[in-house]
Amino acid sequence: MNYPDKFDVIVVGGGHAGTEAALAAARVGANTLLLSHNIETLGQMSCNPAIGGIGKGHLVKEIDALGGVMGRAADAAGIHIRTLNARKGAAVRATRAQADRALYKAFVRRALESQPQLTLFQQAVADLTIEGEQVTGVTTETGISFSAATVVLTAGTFLAGKIHVGQANTSAGRAGDPSSTQLAERLREMPFRVERLKTGTPPRIDGRSIDYSNLESQPGDEPRPVFSFLGTRDDHPRQVCCHITHTNEHTHDIIRNALDRSPLFSGEIEGIGPRYCPSIEDKVVRFADRTSHQIFIEPEGLDTPEIYPNGISTSLPFDVQLNYVRSITGFEKAHITRPGYAIEYDFFDPRDLHASLETKAIRGLYFAGQINGTTGYEEAAAQGLIAGLNAARQTKDREPWSPRRDEAYIGVLIDDLITRGTNEPYRMFTSRAEYRLLLREDNADMRLTPHGRELGLVNDVRWQAFETKQLAASTLESALQDYWVKPGDELFAKLTADNGLALNRQRRFSELLKMPEVKLARLLELAENEVSADKQDYSNLSGFSEAVIEQVEIRAKYAGYLGRQQEDIDRSRRQQEINLPESFDYSRVIGLSNEVRQKLLDTRPDNIGQAARIPGMTPAAISLLLVHLKQRNQLAAPAIDEAATAS
Amino acid sequence: MATSDTIAAIATPNGSGGVGVIRVSGPACKSIAQSICKVLQSAAPASSCTGQLTALPQRSATLTDFLGSPAEVIDTGIVLFFSTPNSYTGEDVLELQAHGGRVVMDMLLQRVLSLGARMARPGEFTERAYLNGKLDLSQAEAVSDLINSGSAAAARAAVKSLQGEFSQRVHALTEELTNLRIYMEAALDFPEEEIDFLASEEMHQRATSLRRNFAKLLETTRQGQLLRDGLTVVIAGKPNAGKSSLLNRLTGEATAIVTDIKGTTRDLLRERIQLDGLPVQLIDTAGLRASQDPVEQEGIRRAILAIREADRVLWIEDINQFDIEDDTARIPSGLLAGIESQVSEVFRLCDLLINESASMVESRAPDKERMGEAKAETLVVDLVLNKTDLGSHDAGLFSLDERLPLDTGGFLRFERCIKLSAITGEGIGLLQTHLKQQAGYDDASEDVFIARRRHIVALESAAKSLEQGFSQLENQYSPELAAEDFRLAQQALGEITGEVSSDDLLGLIFAGFCIGK
Repeated sequence: MNYPDKFDVIVVGGGHAGTEAALAAARVGANTLLLSHNIETLGQMSCNPAIGGIGKGHLVKEIDALGGVMGRAADAAGIHIRTLNARKGAAVRATRAQADRALYKAFVRRALESQPQLTLFQQAVADLTIEGEQVTGVTTETGISFSAATVVLTAGTFLAGKIHVGQANTSAGRAGDPSSTQLAERLREMPFRVERLKTGTPPRIDGRSIDYSNLESQPGDEPRPVFSFLGTRDDHPRQVCCHITHTNEHTHDIIRNALDRSPLFSGEIEGIGPRYCPSIEDKVVRFADRTSHQIFIEPEGLDTPEIYPNGISTSLPFDVQLNYVRSITGFEKAHITRPGYAIEYDFFDPRDLHASLETKAIRGLYFAGQINGTTGYEEAAAQGLIAGLNAARQTKDREPWSPRRDEAYIGVLIDDLITRGTNEPYRMFTSRAEYRLLLREDNADMRLTPHGRELGLVNDVRWQAFETKQLAASTLESALQDYWVKPGDELFAKLTADNGLALNRQRRFSELLKMPEVKLARLLELAENEVSADKQDYSNLSGFSEAVIEQVEIRAKYAGYLGRQQEDIDRSRRQQEINLPESFDYSRVIGLSNEVRQKLLDTRPDNIGQAARIPGMTPAAISLLLVHLKQRNQLAAPAIDEAATAS
Repeated sequence: MATSDTIAAIATPNGSGGVGVIRVSGPACKSIAQSICKVLQSAAPASSCTGQLTALPQRSATLTDFLGSPAEVIDTGIVLFFSTPNSYTGEDVLELQAHGGRVVMDMLLQRVLSLGARMARPGEFTERAYLNGKLDLSQAEAVSDLINSGSAAAARAAVKSLQGEFSQRVHALTEELTNLRIYMEAALDFPEEEIDFLASEEMHQRATSLRRNFAKLLETTRQGQLLRDGLTVVIAGKPNAGKSSLLNRLTGEATAIVTDIKGTTRDLLRERIQLDGLPVQLIDTAGLRASQDPVEQEGIRRAILAIREADRVLWIEDINQFDIEDDTARIPSGLLAGIESQVSEVFRLCDLLINESASMVESRAPDKERMGEAKAETLVVDLVLNKTDLGSHDAGLFSLDERLPLDTGGFLRFERCIKLSAITGEGIGLLQTHLKQQAGYDDASEDVFIARRRHIVALESAAKSLEQGFSQLENQYSPELAAEDFRLAQQALGEITGEVSSDDLLGLIFAGFCIGK
């Protein structure tokens, strides 16, 4: 049947990409339909029960700064929260939480169900309806047709998903869910480059069968970090402890002896797995000299005894899994509740996408999440948000928006994908960002919330909180400019005593702040009850929140480095503004080497900036493109330049 | 596209001509002119840093001294200024015309670069002219051709200028830097691993070693042994083998005898010549002797240091003293061993002389340390078989590729054998070409020199970032800031050795460490 209501945006898939996509589209006012094969699994964490981490925590904060749900859900579900790299600099600090699966899922479900303009429907999608080169809707496996101007596909690992446990393999989207075979077949007929990837999970264990008495425990941080810019510690549920154990030589022997039964080594699995998340058999083989590997015992939730032993993902047969698990300290009597498995799935070469995440081949069709070759909830959610936003904008004839590399990790993520493609599941790391010092967790709101407001993603509550914080920060900053500490002041002596600062003359507070030894919170604390010799009253330096103090301090400490990056940023921004029309004919650019031409054809960059970032691109090649572009525009100027209007 | 950066290049094709031109284009032209042209400074006092260029008339020639620093005059020449948009590129353009010697042009270019310009890519002036609408459409194809041919030539020049020892050392450094960055980045991106990368002994060893090697290379670069000052070549051999006639032949053949830039008198032991613009310092060991005259002693001391750090030794023998067949060109056994013992002899004499002078001037102690270091390394020897005119020998050049340990420590590597006649000049060309090749200077084209300048700029900028990174690590312990400095250093080195992307780095981390849950 043809469903009677028409939608602006249809989102296919209810994972982390799909839910953020649907919420974003609806937030900016598009009439949105979310189709999932199972409404009960909306917002499900299919892999490990954790949100955040290095690079990923940054993404969560950015999603939150754009009004997304992930940060607030992680606060509502976080049962063990830490700041990683706490003792290193602000740019690389990242929040990570163990999340209660049930609480997380429930929060996301509530957010979806309370979002105006958003409709949920339980149906597996079998086909896309396409007219010419424009998507017009989807058809479900039971034959219901929905029509919409745009479709966001977030099929995760479900496309032709294949699960391996030892030599046995079955078709599935994840353990317990069917794969989308029909849809995968249809998509393979379309003009997209398709490849296979692989990922894996460890066996889950019943915590009641674990002996914790000899295991190292790892508590969360106190005070607890908070994910959402709108969140507080009161949002957090009861906190629990994690534990750490290790594999041993015996474990490794068991694994080594069973390698001939591993689909990974027998060639059964063709997809490429993530290098930073290797299976235990991979670790044992590749790092044969290591006698032990650590395992994080992560609780799955407050109301379940099940745990997730992070570090021993595997595709070995179940009997081997049971054997090696029981060889590990604390797991001697372990009961496995779900066997570990590897899953292979289809993904699409993300170089076939624009920065908006719209496919280049089919207008109105957007891809987000794992089908673009990424891994991780955060990477998926980030793409979902951008794809949902742009799908909605397209229905209103608005220009697409995607953050630049110097604005957000989301920008780095998308640009890396569409420019370089990927040949393994792509995970975010801070080393991927050339502007790492700028892209921090603490300033994600400063970088993105104003954009979000303009795009319609950010509601009044968030905007007011943001403005209040910014006002406080600039008030504090100008106060620090105004105040001095002079020799003879009591504060001067206190500062010297406090950290052996060799102050030899009077200083502005803002100057003090640039010294690595001076911590702003401590400075304010020392100044609080002081009056300087010349009657400066420091009292309006008090009353600032932790977040504001942190923000001001980091800006001051990084100022020199950030200034240096600006020139770089300006140059790339100028290049980013020169569009390369889709119809640009690289074969007509005289002087390009065949190698460079092929790279350009593989990526088909949207603009000069993107072209310049293709690995192996030379400055001479960029010059040639510029010259050719100008020549082309001059030639085409009298006639109607269809390419220019199209792009 | 609006440009914010200023580019510079030597605009005249071959530096050995009478006049050389350096062209600068971009917003920094005025301030560069102000700093370099003495005539502007006398008109506008140095204290006014407003960048006002009232004294420099547009589009007309002005005679001026070009200053390397406020006190140092590089050359005297003519300055021309064209204001935007009425210039070749459409931007502010500055032209400095100097006496075209290659060294002078390079010093001038270096000065311009140090004042905020960057090296122009081949064809970039024309590209800017085109993009700023200064060339019409019919010229666009020509611009494409220019960029293309220019980039190919630049690539060839870069390869050429990167031959030999210098290149090996830059590549080795890049690798060391990459390895250090692996530890830094792993520490930042993988804090939950069991290895504390930053505290690891290996990382600190790597950092120390990188720092030391980088300092060494920079010193070499600044001393200009291989670059600015060209080669240092020691001429040695038995009396009557023809050392003096070879020296005379080489200096006589040279295009010019260059006096020492700093203006010291020519000393007894050293000759400075140019081979097609490549500066070569020749040192004759025959002058080594004890002396009471402090001036002569100083000359000898300097010569000894130069010998120790020489790029190569030319060892002269009379070909007629040996039974050498022309076709097989085999070297009689014993000849090379004989040379080794005589080189050791020279070194012993050097040590003796240095000790004497050190005992007279105590502050010379660091010299001994430097020499001790040099000793452990390999000295390259070319065997010159002279006097082919006296027998039935033809001139020629062939490889030796032998390595012998030196009595006094280190090694001698015998690289080439050159048969020639210093009297008739037959074969001298082979020797000259060989020496130029060893300096990466075989092609007399300006491109190579420019490519070299690029490399030095890159090295210096990398060095600056590295030092900042090390001080971040040591003083403030901000690993993320140190990592940023190291990234910038790698970016600068990447101009020479090619880019190392973050993905490459991650790949190396995963290959080197067992990482991940």
